[in-house]
Amino acid sequence: MEGSIEVLKGGLALMGYGLAAVGPGIGIGIVVGNAITAMARQPEMAGTVRTTMFLGIAFTEALALIGFVLFFIA
Amino acid sequence: MLYALSTVLLAAEEAEETGNIGLVLPESYELVAGIIAFGIVFFFVWKWAFPAIDKMLEDRQRAIKGQMEDAEAAKAEAQSLLDDYRKQLAEAKSQAAGIINEAREAAEAMKSDIVAKAQTESAQIGTKARADAATERDRALASARVEVANLSIDLAERVVGENLDRAAQLGLVERYLADLERMSD
Amino acid sequence: MVEQMILASECDVANEVICAPADVKELFELPTIFYIGDIAITRTIILIFLAAFIVIALLYFGLRKGSVIPSKFQAVVESLVQFVRKDVAEDIIGPEGVRYAPYLTAMFLFLLVGNLFEITPLINFPITSRMAIPAFLAIVTWLIFVIVGFYKNGFSYFLDIVWPKSVPIGLRWLVGLIELFSVFLLRPLTLAVRLFANLVAGHLMLTLLLGSGAIFIWNFADAGAKSLVGVAWFAFGLGIYLFEIVVAVLQAYIFTLLSAVYIQSSVHPEH
Repeated sequence: MEGSIEVLKGGLALMGYGLAAVGPGIGIGIVVGNAITAMARQPEMAGTVRTTMFLGIAFTEALALIGFVLFFIA
Repeated sequence: MLYALSTVLLAAEEAEETGNIGLVLPESYELVAGIIAFGIVFFFVWKWAFPAIDKMLEDRQRAIKGQMEDAEAAKAEAQSLLDDYRKQLAEAKSQAAGIINEAREAAEAMKSDIVAKAQTESAQIGTKARADAATERDRALASARVEVANLSIDLAERVVGENLDRAAQLGLVERYLADLERMSD
Repeated sequence: MVEQMILASECDVANEVICAPADVKELFELPTIFYIGDIAITRTIILIFLAAFIVIALLYFGLRKGSVIPSKFQAVVESLVQFVRKDVAEDIIGPEGVRYAPYLTAMFLFLLVGNLFEITPLINFPITSRMAIPAFLAIVTWLIFVIVGFYKNGFSYFLDIVWPKSVPIGLRWLVGLIELFSVFLLRPLTLAVRLFANLVAGHLMLTLLLGSGAIFIWNFADAGAKSLVGVAWFAFGLGIYLFEIVVAVLQAYIFTLLSAVYIQSSVHPEH
């Protein structure tokens, strides 16, 4: 009984992480896509855009990273 | 915040035996090792690497500056040399042009001189020859006249048989000849 | 190396499709090499000092001569250091970035070497896949930007975060709450976890794929036709290996870049 609960917990944690990764995945896609558009429009601003892009990714990614930590805690 | 952190840490300690939480929390010995190792790297970068790289960049800047100044000086020197050469070349060219002009003028003068001399000479020769011819003719004419007079007088003496008054007769012949001449003219 | 041995000792090539250890911890908690007093010196601790040693040796041998006309090696080391100093510290933080440049440079080089341990043959273990180093560096960055923020702007640094003037008054409390949470808690947490998680995932994939690929191919007598699966695992692992080179460099760069951005947000909070 104890073992099967452990397995169930592990499976749920895995599913939880999977769900947590969906949003940031889409978000990072949007951030990077728009950053590429911006760079293509204004190549002279590429440096600034790249920095801002990484910052945006960092914010977006936070959710997935929290999910990752929770996966281990669960 | 501290409270939240402490509860997380407590929860981690409780879960240590069963879950994988240990994997996401720093292990104390590794943390200490990381702090010491990073501290060494940091102090090395701060106290040695940055001063070294700054000194090197300064050296490089100075070297490049020196080289550029040298290059500048060399360029200026080359420029002045080039200017000198150009000036000399221009001078030489103008000199050569002058010399050629002079020579041409001299040749021109000489030519006209020679031509003029030749013309005068030929004119002189012409006049002299004409004068010679004239005097010669005059002399021949005069001598012929005397001769004719003498011959006519001799002939007349023979015809007449006596000595004629030579002077009077000569005047007669002369007059006659002059008449002849006048008539022929 | 050690991890592959763990895999081999446990792997039942006849019944499994891929070799996985019973506990993931076994891939990350490396055995003790020797003891100093009561302190167990694990392989990880030795690798941490090895990384520091490599960074120092790199800098020392690269910059020792300091020649005006650099050798190839010197030019590489020089451009690495100058990259962090100019392109990260000064371009992002501004003129004041000079003060933080030693920290950022040391961080970048240390993380770069630590990350590249992941794909270095015979080492095969990124020290940054242990939480100790990412957590320590993230906390130092956190301390720097919090202290600098309060030191430069006084208490208005905190007020600007929880009561942002640029936001409509109705939403101000909500944005302030999110910002408070984000700046003081999420920033250091995500900074550390991003690096850690990337390297953990990379190390796991490399060990499992290359390790079980090698085991399946090596034990083809027991595995039979399954050794073909091993070939596939191994090929996949090699692809991941190339990808991990990029990840190792990129994660060191992102960690340094974000540290610089966070410090910048405290030096000039209006931006």
